Amino acid sequence: MNQSLILPVVSGISNPLCSTESVLAERKSSLEAVNISKDFDGVSALSDVSLSLQPGQVHGLIGPNGSGKTTLLNLLSGYYQPTTGSILHGGLELALSSVQRRAEIGVARTFQKPRLLPTLTVLENAMLGAWSHKQSGFLATAFAFPQVAREDKQLREQATELLHGMGLGYAIGRPANLLGHAEQRFLEITRGLLMKPRFILLDEPAGGLTEHEIEHLGSVIRTLRDAGIGILLVEHHTDFVFRICDRVTTLNVGKMIKRGTPDETRFDPEVIRVYLGA
Amino acid sequence: MNNLSFLSDRKSLALALGLLMMVTVPWWAGNQYQLHMAALICVYWILISGLNLVIGYTGQLSIGHVGLLSIGAYAFAILAGKMGWHPALALVVAGALGGACGLALGLPSLRLPGFYFAMTTMAFALIVNELVLAEVDLTGGGIGLPGPAFPAPLDSPVGFYYLAATLALLVTWLSWNIVRRIWGLGLMAIRDNPVAAQAVGVPLFRVKLMVFVFSGITAGVAGAMFASLQSYITPDTFIFELSLFFFVCIVIGGRGSIVGPFIGTVVLTMMPELVAPLAKLGHFFYGLLLLLVVLVVPEGLGRVFELLHERFWPRPVHNDAITPDLKRLARAIKDQA
Repeated sequence: MNQSLILPVVSGISNPLCSTESVLAERKSSLEAVNISKDFDGVSALSDVSLSLQPGQVHGLIGPNGSGKTTLLNLLSGYYQPTTGSILHGGLELALSSVQRRAEIGVARTFQKPRLLPTLTVLENAMLGAWSHKQSGFLATAFAFPQVAREDKQLREQATELLHGMGLGYAIGRPANLLGHAEQRFLEITRGLLMKPRFILLDEPAGGLTEHEIEHLGSVIRTLRDAGIGILLVEHHTDFVFRICDRVTTLNVGKMIKRGTPDETRFDPEVIRVYLGA
Repeated sequence: MNNLSFLSDRKSLALALGLLMMVTVPWWAGNQYQLHMAALICVYWILISGLNLVIGYTGQLSIGHVGLLSIGAYAFAILAGKMGWHPALALVVAGALGGACGLALGLPSLRLPGFYFAMTTMAFALIVNELVLAEVDLTGGGIGLPGPAFPAPLDSPVGFYYLAATLALLVTWLSWNIVRRIWGLGLMAIRDNPVAAQAVGVPLFRVKLMVFVFSGITAGVAGAMFASLQSYITPDTFIFELSLFFFVCIVIGGRGSIVGPFIGTVVLTMMPELVAPLAKLGHFFYGLLLLLVVLVVPEGLGRVFELLHERFWPRPVHNDAITPDLKRLARAIKDQA
């Protein structure tokens, strides 16, 4: 059923329903998990969950611990393969494709516990994000072809600009192991941005941040959204999620219990019962 | 880290001094033996600078490179000696063969986790030595083979030294080019955080294999030079301890650096000479140095000065707060696309 919806519209045949075309376009540009289930050795972690990330939208994913939020993020970014269901982008089935393939397509992510290279500087950590876009091969690099130096310079400039934009300009030459927690989180997002992502999946980016830093995180996420990037926000700070998200999906023990706007979610009796509390 | 930042003036000066020392070795080396040692350091370094990409940068603990050295050495001795090829051609073929064997060894082993990978490479080194012993017709078995000399003027100790030094510099230049660019970042990502490396799109196995094949080529070339330098090779020359020696040179020098392992190679190769009056204690000092480095400067000899500098003149740490510049961020994202 979903397959038929993502087929390209045959040109030359006028389509009476304009809205259908826009729906199709939307489906093509989105990153979708369709009826995903994931078992670990027979234990179900997710069952029949669907989620659609649109470019230029912030999609929240909330739920109690163990509800499958990170599992879903790992399925979208390719660390896990679903037991059943599909992951679609631009008419491509991605469910079985590798993490690296998804990086090429433009799916970036951050981790609950930031994963940086401790001895490298902030600038170098950010530059690593551009790996999939580099043109220089191993041999060209080893023999120092002229275009390698050019590309390297351009990359450095891009990374520097993004780091200044993210507010890390002052730490650009500092080794990553001397960074504070918030700096690490912001650096990981910068590395993700160097991937020229269409989608960025943030795994609890506000965890361990001060109120003030969360404000900054919020304004950064809005800027990414306005630049047309689709954002998945897995988060426990529900105030933050409701403030910033366009759509919110709520999970509980591997099942989707609510999908809606922040307001619809906030006042949903089932969401209140299992997660938000009275 | 050192090798990625642009060279500062002080580093350029150190580099120039080092090069000057390398070029003038034949003048200040006291005797033929010292020149032989200098050539040996260069030959070892041809292998170790390639292996450094595998161990020091990519974090794949290969302890079997003596097998690849042996293959290069016997290929050279057979081709240039028994079959009478031109030594230059035999050198190139030895390098190619080293690369091919690196590929054959890397293909099944580089997917294995660290410990099992190390065991596989060790098994490889042991198998190569057994094969060399068994194939008497080809390799001379336990009796060995003469390692042919290069044609004049490279047949003299001075000429050979310059050939070895040139090759060593070439391999150093190649590996330095790799590590100071985004490729080097990819390698270190595989070493420090494979999950993050995957997330940015680094194909772990393929990149590991490329680097391993590169190290195979350098090991093959080093083997050919080694055969010519020693002028006679037997299976006893390629004992497993030599593999550990290469490994320890890199560990003592410090991973993620080129200068460090080079210092390690020089110090450890010279060690028997430095403690010559206490020759019986050679192994003792070798162990003591390893112990001291691991306990006192786990970052390696290459970073001793840097660490002392940080210790006595610590960099001031500013605790700035993050304040994003959203306009700049938006522009930077737009410019990228």
